[in-house]
Amino acid sequence: MERGRPQLNLDELHQLKWLLGGVLALSSVWTVFYVDVDALTLLLATTLAVGAVLWRPGLPDLIPGWVHAMAFPVIVVVFGADLWLGGQTLPAMIRLDLMLILYRGISYRQRRDDLQLIVLGLFLVVVTGVLTVSFAFALQILAFTACALALLLVITLVDAAEAQDPPVKTPLFTWGITVPRPAWTHHSDWPGFFRRVLRTVDWRLAGLWALLFAGVVGVSALLFVAIPRFQLENSLFLERFISRKARSGFTENVRFGDVTDIIGDNALALSVDISNPAEVPGTVYLRMVVLDEYRDGGFKLSARLRRDAFEGEQARFKVYGTQPPRRGERVLWTFYFEPGISRFLPVPGSFEILQFRDLQTVSTSPLLRLVALRNEPATMTAYLMDRVVTSGVLNDPAFAQVHAAAPRAADGRPLEPDRVQMGLTVGDADRRALAAAVTTFAGAGAGPGRLSASDFAGKAAAWLAERHTYSLQSELPAGGGDGLVRWIGGSTPGHCELFAGSFVLLARAAGYPARLISGFRGGSWNAFTGNLTVRNNDAHAWCEIWDAATASWIRVDPTPGSQAVATGDEAQGGAALARRTDSSWSARLDSFRILWYRRIVNFDQRTQVDAVRSVRDATRASGQRLQATFDRTAKALKDWLTSPWDVPRVLRTVAALVALAGLAWGGRVLAGRWRWRRGGLETRGRPDPVRMEAGRWLARLRDNPDGETSLSVHELERLRYGPRASWPEPRAVFQRARLAWKDARRRGRVGR
Amino acid sequence: MSDFVQAAQITEAKQALDRLRANMRVSIKGKDDVIEQVIICLLGGGHLLIEDLPGVGKTTLAYALARSMDCAFSRIQFTSDLLPSDVTGVAIYDETIKEFVFKKGPVFANVVLADEINRATPKTQSALLEVMDRSRVTVDGEAHAVGAPFMVFATQNPVDYEGTFPLPESQMDRFLMRLQMGYPQPVDELEILRAAKLAYDGIVLNPVVTRGDILKLQALAQQVFIEDSVLDYILRIVTATRTESEFRAGASVRGGLALKVAAQARALASARDFVIPEDVAELVRPVLAHRLGLARQTSDAMEERRTVAMILKRILAAIPAPV
Repeated sequence: MERGRPQLNLDELHQLKWLLGGVLALSSVWTVFYVDVDALTLLLATTLAVGAVLWRPGLPDLIPGWVHAMAFPVIVVVFGADLWLGGQTLPAMIRLDLMLILYRGISYRQRRDDLQLIVLGLFLVVVTGVLTVSFAFALQILAFTACALALLLVITLVDAAEAQDPPVKTPLFTWGITVPRPAWTHHSDWPGFFRRVLRTVDWRLAGLWALLFAGVVGVSALLFVAIPRFQLENSLFLERFISRKARSGFTENVRFGDVTDIIGDNALALSVDISNPAEVPGTVYLRMVVLDEYRDGGFKLSARLRRDAFEGEQARFKVYGTQPPRRGERVLWTFYFEPGISRFLPVPGSFEILQFRDLQTVSTSPLLRLVALRNEPATMTAYLMDRVVTSGVLNDPAFAQVHAAAPRAADGRPLEPDRVQMGLTVGDADRRALAAAVTTFAGAGAGPGRLSASDFAGKAAAWLAERHTYSLQSELPAGGGDGLVRWIGGSTPGHCELFAGSFVLLARAAGYPARLISGFRGGSWNAFTGNLTVRNNDAHAWCEIWDAATASWIRVDPTPGSQAVATGDEAQGGAALARRTDSSWSARLDSFRILWYRRIVNFDQRTQVDAVRSVRDATRASGQRLQATFDRTAKALKDWLTSPWDVPRVLRTVAALVALAGLAWGGRVLAGRWRWRRGGLETRGRPDPVRMEAGRWLARLRDNPDGETSLSVHELERLRYGPRASWPEPRAVFQRARLAWKDARRRGRVGR
Repeated sequence: MSDFVQAAQITEAKQALDRLRANMRVSIKGKDDVIEQVIICLLGGGHLLIEDLPGVGKTTLAYALARSMDCAFSRIQFTSDLLPSDVTGVAIYDETIKEFVFKKGPVFANVVLADEINRATPKTQSALLEVMDRSRVTVDGEAHAVGAPFMVFATQNPVDYEGTFPLPESQMDRFLMRLQMGYPQPVDELEILRAAKLAYDGIVLNPVVTRGDILKLQALAQQVFIEDSVLDYILRIVTATRTESEFRAGASVRGGLALKVAAQARALASARDFVIPEDVAELVRPVLAHRLGLARQTSDAMEERRTVAMILKRILAAIPAPV
């Protein structure tokens, strides 16, 4: 009971309970946002409804009684129908939970209802947390736990306050029974309430509570460090069906607009730690999918290429790339790839080794420089690449052989274009249109024999950029034939896919094998964590054209504003990075996420062992230092003792000891006198020692009012509570009290 | 040293109070605890509200006190048609001197028995406010001091509420203590029956202390020492009544001061020159209970009193006494 501090009354406690319950409901329902469950309507309805009743606590009273009566049966029926029609248990349960939270959130709650709300919220938080294992989950469970603890505390306080005047008991089964409108809702004034809460809150207690909470979190973190790692998704029954669906922009089959669709999303796609940032090229291209077949207005990975280029699926920790081992400094790229984007991993170019954090089932294509997981990952995927070469020129001896061996016509064009991945599945009119276009910018009869691939690419890209401007909002012009060919012929603006696709068609029309690549381009350099941050809006489509002279694929980015044709020597260095450095608030937010990834999620067994080992080593080193100090002191003392004792030395030692003893004794006496003299109620914040001592004796002797003891009690009372001027000699009183106490104990009158 | 009470003064006070107690016991049988409380109230310079059924000795108690200390005693029977001027007095025009002359009312005494105070209208009840607070009466802008010492003994019947006007909180706050007499023990009642005196007028008591003694004792009580931890104890109790959700409002500052004054008076009555926590704890109920009302409505006044007493007991149990 604090002096002078007001406390919340019962009504205010109820109001606080209502507020905490609402916040808890809101914080738990919003975890659903992270999983791909079709519950957005319910989510919004719950948010709006709970928000409204928080704002106006009188609103639940407007709900007619029959709603309460019907709520439970309706929810059961809806759940049953959901389960039956949808056939998926977990999403149906999540929707059920949302409905229950909605109902609980908008009706007046008694103690049991509040506890139900906590359990319902916990279900949502835990399920979504386990499914996503994201940084947001860590924050959310912390917020939820704090909120739930506060709510439980308030419930306990309300219980204690109501213990004297218990409310009418309700039956165990409270569905459909309307809880009457609480009195406080008639005069709820939130600003006033918050002011009062601020006035009444005991900040020391709140600080202690926060400390305890931090302690619990700290212990949990220690446990997290101490327990062995395991893969949640492999260990739990929860399936991956519930995670966010991949967008089709990064699959084997891309339609125009799919990649652009991703660009509209500003969410983080991946973060990359690079051991030597100077190695990062000016513009990073992260290849994910290679699409060689153009059919029905879209690009896809042809079945032939898939069969020829990809190795079979294998469970592995390491994937070996085409880059031969080289001497010198290793450059490690560590990728943290967000879930829900693609099963194809972003790869910056050729590499020597790609190493996963966990065992993964992958199929790889060393020639295409692609790595694909079997399924789209439900959680963040971490992988590390060593000796990465980010060149825009990829050699491909296998394709060179295919290309060279293909039967050709007199003008050098292959007779079976599909064999060399340059099929042009468009009508004759379209072919003619394309040929005309090629003639426009490359001259008549342009082809691999006359014009090098890079020259052709430069001309084609320049011609496209001349005719079209870049725009995310673009449509293919109406008309007959192939849509993309119509776009090439027209002058409407377009997005990267249209530019890249057009380039591929033009190149193929001119006889150059070309393919479309989709992935990420660019990204920003996070100034706070020193890593490359790539967002979904960095999604991009570009092309690669075959250069028979060098037997390699040359990257061509025909989208305006890019360096169209890549050369073998990419500009690298810190200057390029500095241009991209991002110091904004979103970068700061991302830095927490990166911290989470680096320190928590990517915490594998080896680093865990290293951490424990370093703690052990530090402890051992401290122990050794202590031991050494002790040994040194003991040795010095021993030397001093064993050195010859002559008379002057003995005398010096005795004098020193006497002086020390005298000082100690004098100090004690002086301190004692000063304390006795000081007298008042408190000595430096502590009660007067005489009064304290008298209080202690009083507590022992008070219940024994006879004879000598009675006298002692009276004197002790005077020492404890009486004016100082009237005190008897304290020591004598304490002496008498001690005697009286011993006497009483002997007679068995008082206890210890 | 002059700030503190001398041992000789305490001895003197003890003798005077012993005489007073013994004298009152002659006419009030088996009610030593009530006599003790009355003495505490007297020493604290406060007023007393006695709640009980008719015929348990309330008037006799007031009369015995007044007689024992050689003081003027007056009794006012409160009724619904009683006017304020019937209590305080009235200025009437004197033909002979051609001006208004103040004719003192029955309140001009040392011990005033306000019998069945809740039968009077609020207007008349509030006529007592000033006199209880400041020991003076102001009529026509002119202040008239009442007797010194001055003590109001008010009585009311808590059960029979028909045609009464409950005392407002401001009025209740002016009473230092509220007591219940209760029925005497059978042994004591037998003695009362033997005495066969019905009217209190028949009580013959010799004054054993003078008015001057009482004033000195009251001054002495104010000098009784209170150690800071005991003051803190009082403060925590008063604060606890303010934070208790069951009470409509907590004890006022006057309530806290009253508890302090009463504790000092109890210490003096126990022949001590300093207050111990027990003084405070013992007086919490008589000093604070009548100042506190329950937040929720109760149908029965006795029930409300019981609940308030219970909560006060709980508060006392929750606050550790300073040791």
